[in-house]
Amino acid sequence: MADSGYLLELKDVSRYFGGLVAVDGVSYGVKKGEVRGIIGPNGAGKTTLFNVITGELKPTGGRIYLNGKDITGLPPHIICEEGMSRTFQLTFIFPEMTVFECVWVGVYSRARRPWNLFFSRADRSGPIAEKAQQIIHTVGLEEKTHEMASSLSYGDQKVLEIAMALSTDPVILLLDEPTQGVGPGEVDTIINLVERLSKEMSIVLIEHDMDIVARLCHNVTVLSFGKMIAEGTCEAVSQNEEVQRIYLGEKIVCS
Amino acid sequence: MQRERVYRYFALGALVLLAILGTVLPSGARSLMIQIMIFGIFAMGYDVCLGYTAQCSLGHSLFFGAGAYACVLSVMHLKAGLLTALAISVGSGFVLAAVLGPICVRLSEAYFVIVTAIIAAVFHLLAMDLIWLTGGDDGLCISVPPLKLGFVDLSLYQPLTNYYFVLFFMAVTYFVLARILRAPLGKIFVAIRENPKRALFLGYNVTRYKLIAFIISGMVGALAGGLYAVTLRYCSADYMGFYWSVLPVVWCLIGGQGTLVGSWLGVALMSLFQYYVSAWFTYYLLLFGVLVLIILSVSRKGILGFIASKVR
Repeated sequence: MADSGYLLELKDVSRYFGGLVAVDGVSYGVKKGEVRGIIGPNGAGKTTLFNVITGELKPTGGRIYLNGKDITGLPPHIICEEGMSRTFQLTFIFPEMTVFECVWVGVYSRARRPWNLFFSRADRSGPIAEKAQQIIHTVGLEEKTHEMASSLSYGDQKVLEIAMALSTDPVILLLDEPTQGVGPGEVDTIINLVERLSKEMSIVLIEHDMDIVARLCHNVTVLSFGKMIAEGTCEAVSQNEEVQRIYLGEKIVCS
Repeated sequence: MQRERVYRYFALGALVLLAILGTVLPSGARSLMIQIMIFGIFAMGYDVCLGYTAQCSLGHSLFFGAGAYACVLSVMHLKAGLLTALAISVGSGFVLAAVLGPICVRLSEAYFVIVTAIIAAVFHLLAMDLIWLTGGDDGLCISVPPLKLGFVDLSLYQPLTNYYFVLFFMAVTYFVLARILRAPLGKIFVAIRENPKRALFLGYNVTRYKLIAFIISGMVGALAGGLYAVTLRYCSADYMGFYWSVLPVVWCLIGGQGTLVGSWLGVALMSLFQYYVSAWFTYYLLLFGVLVLIILSVSRKGILGFIASKVR
């Protein structure tokens, strides 16, 4: 499969919940360095698709390849080790840990060895702490390094989530509505962050706001009722009649 | 960071205080103190499960009882020395937790509670029935072998020796557990407690780490059981009873779960209550229940958690 040239490739992936078809034969590929948007109305199966890709749900049918390797049905922690990382729609952080510890745990995940698990000191400086500090710096939370994650503003928690996703050194990052529920000022911070990250890794992004999609994504996949109904550049997709029908009346403008 | 420092100072202070108390206490209070220290060990081990990985086991009496029996039986039948017998205790905790843990730890919350309780109940019944081995309800009495230190033999029949023997194990258990919990493993435990799904997506095999916590907890519980049997020179099937499963939960809740040493306060409070209040009021547990409710309504992190949140 390595010859396909895709970093992440889905082949005819489906997921049923009993009789309900949540994801229906979705196939697409994400190239290295690409930023891919996934849009669609509520209940279109976007998050389910993420859950299937990252291993939280096993697909009912189809195969998923990461870097040419078949990762279909592997558990999430193995898929993470293969270089995939994700954020969640609702903030998923460790509330009772400091920002530093949250990121540290992720960095350690890749540096973990049986002999440093039990008796090395987690609070000492070292390459792991440095890496964690560097990631915190990248996302711009350095002033809040030692604050409790639960005490951060909602926007900062979203940023921390991205930092935690980065901590496992991913080659591909899956972001599930990173700007949802965030105030306007903080939205810009997050968009800028994603834009910067997109230079270093591939990103798949679920997003409702078409402006953000247009600004960030090279290619867009449109889902509706679990089916992929359009794929292409933002401009091409917004011209698509079916897409326009789904987004009923909403004007899709791509600049 | 700050809170952990409070816990550490509390623990060191308590250990120093216990070391001093050993020489000054009258014999009655001293034997109560020995009991409190043994329960303190049990409670610390339990907190690794409850407070650090959010696994509320109702089956820890299994480890306590198994540790006690392993110790007593190895002294009786294998003529094992004191330290060997205690090592066998810890080993029994390890084996049981490693064998039964994989069944339990993959279950979530309520199912985990129920299955651990059932497993302990099964072993309790077994211990009651296999009278030829366990002595059942009547239990087994042993004469405790002396502690051979090479240059001198110490007898645990000396209350003072017994006191410092138990204190030594309490200190060692504390330092080992505190070290583990400050190590990456401890951080992973807390991460799993805070959000198991996020930990899973950071690449951690959550089930495996829950199992590690369960095993550590079981080993410490078994050590406490062994020490208890050695101190009382006795052990019975009753040690595997449900009562001994509920106790550590109560200790940890009162003292502060997730603080490792807060449970010492829970143990002390409950033991003193039992000792002094039960003398004049039969239904002392009723009063104690109310006390627990009051403490938990003031602070969900127990007494030590409350203190730590006030210290700035």
